[in-house]
Amino acid sequence: MTFPSFTLLAQSILAGIFTGAVYGLLGLGLSLSWGMLRQINLAHFALAFLGAYLTYQFATYGGLDPLLTLLVIVPPFFLAGIAVHWVLTRFQVTPLNSLLVTFGLTIIIEAVLQWIWTADYRRLESSYAEHKFQIQGVYLPLPELITLGLSGGIALAIWLALTRTDLGKAIRAAAHDGPIAAAFGINQRALALVLSGVNAALAGIAGVCIALSYTLAPSQIYSWIGVVFACVMLGGLGRPFGPLLAGCIIGISEAITMAVTAPSWAPLVSFSLLIIVLLLRPGRV
Amino acid sequence: MLDVQGIRVAYGAATALWDVSLSIEEGELLCVVGPNSAGKTTLINAIAGINTLSAGRITLGDRDITRLAPHRFCAAGIALVPEGRRLFTEMTVLENLELGSYIPAARAARKRSLEMVCGLFPALEPKLAQPAGALSGGQQQMVAIGRALMAQPRFLLLDEPSLGLAPGIVLDMFGAIRKVHAEGIAVLLVEQNVSMALQVAQRAVVLEEGRVVAAGTPDELLARPELRRAYLGLDAAA
Amino acid sequence: MRRSLLLVLLAGALFAAVPYLSLPAYYESVLYLVFHWIALATSWNLLSGYSGYFSFGHGAFFGIGIYTTAVLASRFDVPFLWTLPAAALLAAVVGAALGAIAFRVKAVRGELFALLTLAATFVVATIVLNTPIDGGPGVYLSAVPMPEIGPTPSSSFYLLALAAAVLTIVVALLVYYARFGLGLFAIHDDEDVAEVMGVPTFRYKVGAFALSCALAGVVGGIHAMFVSYVTTGDTFTVTLPLTVILMSVLGGTRHWAGPAIGATVITLLLYSFTAGDSAVLGKAAMGVILVSVILFMPEGILGYLLKKLGRKPEAGRAAQAGLPLSAVPAEAPPEALPPASAGEVLLRASGVHKSFRGVQALRGVSLEVRRGEILGLLGPNGSGKSTFINVVSGHFPVSAGEIQFGGRQIAGIEAHHIARCGLSRTYQIPRPFAHLTVLDNVALPAMFGARQLDRAQAEREAWRWLAFTGLTGRARALPDELNLHQRKFLEFARALAAQPQLLMLDEVLSGLTPSEIDEAVALIRRIRSQGTTIVFVEHVMRAVMALCDRIVVFNQGEVLAEGVPAEVMTRPEVVSAYLGKPMADESGAPVFVAEGVHA
Repeated sequence: MTFPSFTLLAQSILAGIFTGAVYGLLGLGLSLSWGMLRQINLAHFALAFLGAYLTYQFATYGGLDPLLTLLVIVPPFFLAGIAVHWVLTRFQVTPLNSLLVTFGLTIIIEAVLQWIWTADYRRLESSYAEHKFQIQGVYLPLPELITLGLSGGIALAIWLALTRTDLGKAIRAAAHDGPIAAAFGINQRALALVLSGVNAALAGIAGVCIALSYTLAPSQIYSWIGVVFACVMLGGLGRPFGPLLAGCIIGISEAITMAVTAPSWAPLVSFSLLIIVLLLRPGRV
Repeated sequence: MLDVQGIRVAYGAATALWDVSLSIEEGELLCVVGPNSAGKTTLINAIAGINTLSAGRITLGDRDITRLAPHRFCAAGIALVPEGRRLFTEMTVLENLELGSYIPAARAARKRSLEMVCGLFPALEPKLAQPAGALSGGQQQMVAIGRALMAQPRFLLLDEPSLGLAPGIVLDMFGAIRKVHAEGIAVLLVEQNVSMALQVAQRAVVLEEGRVVAAGTPDELLARPELRRAYLGLDAAA
Repeated sequence: MRRSLLLVLLAGALFAAVPYLSLPAYYESVLYLVFHWIALATSWNLLSGYSGYFSFGHGAFFGIGIYTTAVLASRFDVPFLWTLPAAALLAAVVGAALGAIAFRVKAVRGELFALLTLAATFVVATIVLNTPIDGGPGVYLSAVPMPEIGPTPSSSFYLLALAAAVLTIVVALLVYYARFGLGLFAIHDDEDVAEVMGVPTFRYKVGAFALSCALAGVVGGIHAMFVSYVTTGDTFTVTLPLTVILMSVLGGTRHWAGPAIGATVITLLLYSFTAGDSAVLGKAAMGVILVSVILFMPEGILGYLLKKLGRKPEAGRAAQAGLPLSAVPAEAPPEALPPASAGEVLLRASGVHKSFRGVQALRGVSLEVRRGEILGLLGPNGSGKSTFINVVSGHFPVSAGEIQFGGRQIAGIEAHHIARCGLSRTYQIPRPFAHLTVLDNVALPAMFGARQLDRAQAEREAWRWLAFTGLTGRARALPDELNLHQRKFLEFARALAAQPQLLMLDEVLSGLTPSEIDEAVALIRRIRSQGTTIVFVEHVMRAVMALCDRIVVFNQGEVLAEGVPAEVMTRPEVVSAYLGKPMADESGAPVFVAEGVHA
């Protein structure tokens, strides 16, 4: 174990924050879905990758700026989210079963991705990747900065919406006590559908960010599941800044572990943290 | 006028209410009393739109609201103070009150309503920014009543507001209920504390095992043996 | 059960003959995979399907099995077949340890347990990867000698996998029909009630988990040899537990044969698609199947078929040990308990406190229950009566105070021990085990209660109590087919089947019609005449007056009054607790006089 230099340490922390930003973005939709709607949406990851592949496709073959693909992706994903929620509610699927149904959806989406884009690795070459800022010998690549900006900005927007707007407060109230919220005029069914749409749109946005910074392959979907769930649970369900903050903590501890010991020890950190939280404070979830 | 005609409510295999009928005129204060598991909460929840009827009708004025969706009852003019308060405990007192005025009609008058509620319950003013779950039982009850008043209702439904409260607070609360009633809001009060209830009521209904066994003015009811029998199991002869 | 067992063994013997039929080698490969997945899915189902604790960590224990064999065989030259019991043992130990920790935390149910086990998989994988166990390059087993079990090397693997599949199915079958299985299914339906009825829930869950992990370990060990090169990346995946869950859910998790059916269908389906391009199509099909099954056939193929055929789930049933109806007398002569000295104190509560998150539900309750009496617990809403019953029966732990039952301290001990001491209760809203038949619902407490009867005896007892409560005709029905009155009587039969010394009834009469109430009152009288002491929370006053020898009135978590009903109910403090205190006007004089009520 060699103690790293300041630059290396700073770069690691930064890398951890950048990773945390992606975890946060991915985890946000999942956290809102689980915390407010009692549905565990495993398909969130597959949806994100669908968004990533679409971004890759539009940018590489359509010449469309990756950030503009956001406009193309968000509306249909919003509708897809509504559709999934509608089905889950219609069949009165329990939280555990929602995990299984969405796993089925994940497999379907993964198969579609493989069918269209094959299992080969795909990498989006964008003009953003060429830009890097440098401060004191530490590098800040543009794509990662964009992701951090989006992740933080969206978390802030959602936090503001939930705490400052009537609609957001109504959603929180409906999640806490549906029948009483309805007694005060809150149409919880409609709100739940809207929230699901938003969550799916978030998955799409996460996908765009993933396409900017990572290499894509359908099997990659599964490598995110474990650690993002850890972020969601550590951050507390339904809290907009939760996954982002927990993601940064996990990202930084992973990065430092990688710098100080071998990279392959990194997963131990996040999952041990998750286990400890689950055992000590299960009620928090 | 709120008119309940021959309603029956069942939970799965168990029928909780059998052919219950009652009516509340505009501005009237009606009490529903009866022993536990007589069906009082079921009745009030049915009128608030939370329970569905398996038989019977509920009309508000000349409008049949039996099949109305649960979230439309508030706009129809009915506000509920549920048993056990059921506040949104994670949210602040202010947010709870604001949510009471979620419907568009009430939202426009939100500021005015808030002033009214704070005037009625001065103890709440310093607590507006605190999470509702941190307040004492009596204060929570005030928030629950305030939340319902924010909806600018014509009919206020109160389900066992004195439950779990110390006697002194109960006095204050009934005083507040009297004031609210004096503003012209019709009140349906379900209460376990029969003496208190009969003192504020203009008319009362006695519920036992899911049926109405007696109705009338408080004086009429106090003279009859049904109350004693229902609550204490004692015959008039005993 | 014997029939099914023979069928399974027969099928096993038939399949064992396949290597000798000189079929093309790929038949053995396909069947190897089928048996491999049958064994994995069935072993998973032992804990997760039976008890409802869905584990997402099956891959971890499969992996432990793989690496145990890999390391022992390639580095320590242990003969391959000897590594298999080692793999099973290590997997079982790790599983038991994880279970012992996870199941101690009461709030870890359902989704949380799933995530906990998922996290455990990643932890194990990382440890294996980073320590000398694997270290990174993976482990080669190509140099390990393979024992010759069949005519060809591939047939040896085939036979091993077949043996594993048969072993796992047989274990699942035996557990299904045993008391262990009945306990697990009860845990699935309502764990708290199962515990209160005497099922040692913690022990059973850990046991099922350990068993499940051991079997997964064996399958892993065999698979290590089969692939002959193991890496952590291929072993500790998320897709393995998900596939196993898909197979079990498809086949039906509540039956021993369900996972096997699901595994066969899925494996054959996937295999038929792996030819070229269609691999992707096969994957998509699998996803579509999973979604459709959960939405439309949550009980799985087997569950759906059994329902269609009108057969009820038979978990815990011995081979047709039920007595023919004619052998059961219409009203079985009650077996009176030894007449202990009436009036002796059976239950004594001293200073019992119970708080829930700051709310004091019981503030120092002290009371006595005397043998042979019917004691009524009364009081307004929220006064603590039901909490008292929950605390005595062990449903909730006490915050302070002592409870003595038959001379033994029961405050704070696990609920299933309290049940074994001879204490039984009903629930205000009936909580039968929804997926067990009425007969099994009644047999369970007889099996797990004070007398610890075996299967056949418990069932005889069950028939007796069904006759006593008039439910004989509904013995084979499921609880949701009963109306409220019958469900309440099922609660009675269940509580009585344990032959308790003390029976606690929680508002059994609420929701019943007047004539049903009369029947219930008569039943309660009959129960007492057998020598059972009864504690009775009730609001229906005429029943209280008719039945109770003594009553205790609760108010705001304390005992307000105690004595003979007619006398207690006229005491002023009791009257005002029920009817409320009068309001004073400004001058301080009571506006309303309580005596008016007595007029």
